[in-house]
Amino acid sequence: MPTIADLKLGQSATIIDCSSEAIPFKLLEMGCLPGNKVKLLQVAPFLDPLYLNIDDAFVAIRRDTAALICIEIDPDE
Amino acid sequence: MTPLVQYILTGIAVMAAIVFLLRKFLPKKTKKSCGTDDCGCH
Amino acid sequence: MSKQINVALIGNPNTGKTSVFNALTGLNQKVANYPGITVDKKEGLCKLSRVLKAHILDLPGTYSLNASSLDENIVIELLLNKNNKDFPDVAIIVSDVENFKRNLLLFTQIKDLEIPTILVINMADRMSAKGISLDIPYLEKVLKTKIALVSARKNTGIAYLKTLISNYRELSLEPCLNASSIDPTYFDQLQSAFPNQQLYKLWLVITQDVNFGKINRQEMDVAVFKTKSKSDLKRLQQKETIKRYQFINNVLKQGQTIDLSKAKDFRATLDRITMHTFWGYIIFFVVLLSIFQAIYDWSSTPMDYIDASFAQLSEWTKATLPSGVFTNLLADGIIAGIGGIVIFIPQIAFLFLFIAILEEIGYMSRVVFLMDRIMRRFGLSGKSVIPLISGTACAIPAIMATRNIENWKERLITILVTPFITCSARLPVYLIIISLVIPQGRFLGLSYQALTLMSLYLIGFGMAILSAATLNRILQFRSKSFFVVEMPSFKVPLIKNVAITVVEKTRSFVFEAGKIILAISVLIWVLASNGPGDSFKNASTIVKQEYVDLDSYQVDQKIAAYRLEHSYIGLIGKSIEPLIRPLGYDWKIGIGLVTSFAAREVFVGTLATIYSVGGNNPDTLKQKMSAEKRADGSAIFSLASGISLLLFYAFAMQCMSTLAVVKRETNSWKWPLIQLFGMTFIAYLISLIAFQLIQ
Repeated sequence: MPTIADLKLGQSATIIDCSSEAIPFKLLEMGCLPGNKVKLLQVAPFLDPLYLNIDDAFVAIRRDTAALICIEIDPDE
Repeated sequence: MTPLVQYILTGIAVMAAIVFLLRKFLPKKTKKSCGTDDCGCH
Repeated sequence: MSKQINVALIGNPNTGKTSVFNALTGLNQKVANYPGITVDKKEGLCKLSRVLKAHILDLPGTYSLNASSLDENIVIELLLNKNNKDFPDVAIIVSDVENFKRNLLLFTQIKDLEIPTILVINMADRMSAKGISLDIPYLEKVLKTKIALVSARKNTGIAYLKTLISNYRELSLEPCLNASSIDPTYFDQLQSAFPNQQLYKLWLVITQDVNFGKINRQEMDVAVFKTKSKSDLKRLQQKETIKRYQFINNVLKQGQTIDLSKAKDFRATLDRITMHTFWGYIIFFVVLLSIFQAIYDWSSTPMDYIDASFAQLSEWTKATLPSGVFTNLLADGIIAGIGGIVIFIPQIAFLFLFIAILEEIGYMSRVVFLMDRIMRRFGLSGKSVIPLISGTACAIPAIMATRNIENWKERLITILVTPFITCSARLPVYLIIISLVIPQGRFLGLSYQALTLMSLYLIGFGMAILSAATLNRILQFRSKSFFVVEMPSFKVPLIKNVAITVVEKTRSFVFEAGKIILAISVLIWVLASNGPGDSFKNASTIVKQEYVDLDSYQVDQKIAAYRLEHSYIGLIGKSIEPLIRPLGYDWKIGIGLVTSFAAREVFVGTLATIYSVGGNNPDTLKQKMSAEKRADGSAIFSLASGISLLLFYAFAMQCMSTLAVVKRETNSWKWPLIQLFGMTFIAYLISLIAFQLIQ
């Protein structure tokens, strides 16, 4: 299943599963919950960290965290 | 100000400096330790 | 006789909570320490009316009561302990219009604790620009609170907020959401096991790793833990969060309308530029260079002025007060010591001014984003950038700035390597040695001397990175990674906030470093003004006999030099001479190395005394230094020994104040001692190699 780490620049997706224990709980509290939207806004060199819009929160997370959050990529508009 | 007064004042200042440094650098008995690697808060 | 109530300011980071705090307290605020923990305790007083005062605590920003770091722990510890003297009579949750939904999570949790709560919606002036409108009466009803629309920036809503605080008794204590519905059976069990405790509070105690008031954790473990495993609890916590957001989303569906057509958004463009894969770094580099250039340019005049003023003060003291031991201590030990601290205030204040501005406008978070991956290669974090930059002024406030690095290993490594960064105290030493031993001449348009100085900066930075990478390999302990950085929106900096931050940081330098430097200066003065045996006591006679035809000024200088040589400090210098001779130094330089333990820049003043140079003339000192010869006739200050000395100062840990701060921030003696011996060893080795090779 694709994760946030697989998003391309500018792509949007819906979060399916973020139950992994290794995900900082703070992220969930900031809006990273199943059903919410996520969009990849910017990527640093070496593809790490990732700058995302998660449920209208503007957050940067490391790639290893992003790889734990399963998503369903939105179809292209 | 007699030389004696001067000596006393100097003595006080020096003692104050020594005491201050000792208190800063010598371990105190009660210290709630948090910040080491295994305290569990992070 | 006025009554005082406790108010707690709580809220997400970046909501402008501090601005609200500043607006309520003005300059009636102070920063202290929470006992035993390295988190700043910000408190202030606010006069609400003639008979009512509010003691306001500005708590660390947090996203929820589920704490993931040391400072977030503070919030929950306070709110769970009714016996804490700061336990709030009323809590103010600060939210902002742009992140309203997210801010409300914390709000609903605090409401569940049944504490009287006021909701402040800050940055209200941005509502129209973002196309947001709020139905305040509806929100007040559903959230069971009173709302104040505030703009700390435009200073609106503060007066109304003060009225709300004064009328805190009228606030509803009802929670707006019943969290126990996530697992009714479990919560019923919980409540029956502890019927006297508030339910949500019990839940927090179970799920958090904190110290708390009256409930004994052992009892809890036995009675309740048996029914739920750790991962079950985590799942429940997630359910709780989801439920809360469901509630919030429902509330906002009616209470908030966003008209995107009205929204003007520069944010997306600015984000793309500042965080661009290529241009982002160029911009950062340019910003850094400009800052350093500005600091260099702006601080030289104030520094010269301070230098001259303190020298005058010292002279005046000697001339005016009755002569004697104490007067000398005052003039040469205390005033000189204080002067040595004050002279760095311009540089440090300017650096913190720039950093504070960059933080206020929101740029710093973007820098953290840009630098994180690179920093992690070396065991550091993106958040290490600010301490490393601050280290160019002084390592002490820099080390204190590491507090926001959540990962302990990354934070520890940052603390340990920051002292390698070239701090401003090293500059006087560098400048005089460079002008003495580095030849004139240019390379690619830059003088050799300028290039040497630049190299020293680069070497300092390089060594910091190298040691970080090494420590990363050596230190084996796992620590959890919590890297989640919110990018705040770009804002025009609020002057008041910037000013208060600069004053705070400068004050911490002056008092943290200052007190230690002063104390050591006094001690060194004592050791330098007294010596064993007759040679010290009879210095005056001996010198006068030897130098018959010098004028009285020169004789005085010679006497001073003789005294220093035969004082306790002089003895120490002579006794370490065998150790430092392989590095190209003699006992006179040795004395300078010892006095540098007070503060590195003291080296220059010490040399001035040793070489019998009175007054503040740097050229005379340089002349004297270049004339110094060894036993075999070669110059003491040669290219080889000069470079060796430069490198020694670059790497050695001489600053006692830094060690004191490291000890406090790491809560143990292990790390500062490792720094002391490790860095000094590296300094010794490299200086040794340099001297032997270049000779």
